[in-house]
Amino acid sequence: MNETILLTGATGTVGRSLVPILAERDDVEKVYLLLRKPADTPDFDRPGSNRMMPASGDISAGGQLGLDAPWSEEIAEHVTVIIHGAADTGFSAPLAELRAVNVEGTKNILTFAAHCPRLRAIACLSTVHVAGKRTGLIEEEFMEHSAGFVNGYEQSKYEAELLLREKMKDLPISVLRLSTVLGDSGTGQVAKLAAIHQGLRLYYHSLAPMIPGSPSSPVDLIASDYAAAAIAHLAIAQFSAGRVFHLCGGRDVLSLDELLRLTHDAFTRYRPSWRKRSIAMPTIVALPTFELFARSVQAVGDNLLRHSVDVIACFAPQLAYPKSFEDGACMRALASLATKKPRILDFYPKIVQWLVESGWADRNVATTVEAVAS
Amino acid sequence: MEHTQKPSVGVTAIEYVLGSEAVSLEELETRELLDTQANKLREFGFQCVRMSREPSYELGLQAARKLLQSCAVDPETVDAVFYVGATPDSQALLTADPRSAFNYPVAQLQYELELTRAFTMGVSQLGCAGLMTAVSLARSFLLSSECASRVLCVSADVLPAENKREMIYNVISDGACAVLVEKGGARNRIMGYRQITKGYYWDLTTKKNEIAAAYFPTARAIMQDILRESGIEWPSVGLILPHNVSLRSWEILLGLVGAPAEKLFSANIGRFAHVIAADNWINLRDAMESGKVRPHDKLLLFTFGFGANWACMLLEH
Repeated sequence: MNETILLTGATGTVGRSLVPILAERDDVEKVYLLLRKPADTPDFDRPGSNRMMPASGDISAGGQLGLDAPWSEEIAEHVTVIIHGAADTGFSAPLAELRAVNVEGTKNILTFAAHCPRLRAIACLSTVHVAGKRTGLIEEEFMEHSAGFVNGYEQSKYEAELLLREKMKDLPISVLRLSTVLGDSGTGQVAKLAAIHQGLRLYYHSLAPMIPGSPSSPVDLIASDYAAAAIAHLAIAQFSAGRVFHLCGGRDVLSLDELLRLTHDAFTRYRPSWRKRSIAMPTIVALPTFELFARSVQAVGDNLLRHSVDVIACFAPQLAYPKSFEDGACMRALASLATKKPRILDFYPKIVQWLVESGWADRNVATTVEAVAS
Repeated sequence: MEHTQKPSVGVTAIEYVLGSEAVSLEELETRELLDTQANKLREFGFQCVRMSREPSYELGLQAARKLLQSCAVDPETVDAVFYVGATPDSQALLTADPRSAFNYPVAQLQYELELTRAFTMGVSQLGCAGLMTAVSLARSFLLSSECASRVLCVSADVLPAENKREMIYNVISDGACAVLVEKGGARNRIMGYRQITKGYYWDLTTKKNEIAAAYFPTARAIMQDILRESGIEWPSVGLILPHNVSLRSWEILLGLVGAPAEKLFSANIGRFAHVIAADNWINLRDAMESGKVRPHDKLLLFTFGFGANWACMLLEH
């Protein structure tokens, strides 16, 4: 079967890895890339690149996704699979802004999907952190909870999932919840710096004094290349309407203490001169202590320190709500995937190596930190 | 094989002198001597600072004289004087003559107090960790010298009048402190000392944020290290004698190390603010005076000085 795919979020962390995978699949005839700026079309030079069709649009621009009428009609007529990955991942952005993209954007995708006669699959990317402040083992199914959320991103994605669940009776929807996507397991390359990479950079520059959580808090991280291969598989070959899958480390996770030690070792190995700075590992502290520190810095700190704490505060408190993610259903669905899940201990040092060697540490820390925090 | 036990070395007497002018945070704000709003610093536990019109040497001399008199110490019995200063005027008694750079306050102090047997030494470039380092050096000197029994450690600092009174969210007072360290002194026996220097943070002018962030994890590490090395756990610590940085930062640090707030002797943070290198010893004296220290209590002293230096001492009262 030849699939025609509409992909949103092609320029995102996972999207950049997903585009070449879709381009190379034998069962994919055409991929429409919905891009706010067509100039942002991901560069790749591989077989199948002629199947990529950039289309100017915006998921937050209504049920026609901001597409011009001819495009809108063509895509609606031919599309068989929608992979919806576009999201506002600004963890510290106002909830209203996040909802406009993550909830309303999803609603618009579903409105558009309702007018696609050949559509057989809508794979919506979400986050395992829709579990918010829940703790313990998080099941691989739709959930409703009142535990609260660490940031507006989590909440907006949770609300988007509620919407997806409601529409599931009318449309072929599956939800793929990803854990934190780090970078490529082979090369270590990071397509797009996210909060965790900025957090590591603050540690590198001695601007991350403490992290909430406990030493044993699980940190679930996943490689972008594997995530992309798995998404393509779950959206096309193994699509299963009405299901939720956890695309995550599962049992293969680091503890927070291990993560910090591995990071320290990698900084030292890949930038030997870093050792002489004698920068202490961030202290793992109880959430109230971290919050007291963050409030104090907000009250009197310089911009750089305030923004640094903002970056950590927008995601790290999640570690104070220790949880692990069930992924049995996902792993069963991925049993036929040729790409095997890389082990975190194997690829994490490569990510840090790539970051250090790419000059990530040497860019103006103030500028980047402010950009992430704002 | 003969086993010789090291004699104990303890801190047997402390006296201090503060700048005579008590100035509220609001007045400092009016005089444009703060970077942060007075009300925020008040929230952080500060109330006022003590400012001196006298030079640091005069305060140091007064504190040392007070100690010798209150303990009836014969000046002839003092074997060494370690003089500590972090501010520019504590390094030399400067006049218009450039040669005055060699006019050392410790030498004048030795002369004025008739400490004729004492050799003298300056301890500097340690910021607010200077006096604790000096006490540790005094202990090492006493343990290595069979005939020496007493060292007088004196710290004295007065900020230049035009200087801001705030450094990294803490407000600074002028003052001096004299500490007598004695071999065989059972009182406030020095059980352990640790110091960590991280030269990466040498430039206060460009690394203010990094220093503020680095303070906490290394503070936690050094406190835990000294307790572990001494075989002591937090419940056995009777009192924490702080350097008088903000009460807020102590609340955070106590959270990091898992020590209860009631262990902290915080009475002087608001009324005295941060007296450079003297805080821990002023607090020890006042804690003893106020009956907060019981015999055999384990006392943990922690301080931080620019450089950057983290220093921690464990005493048994």
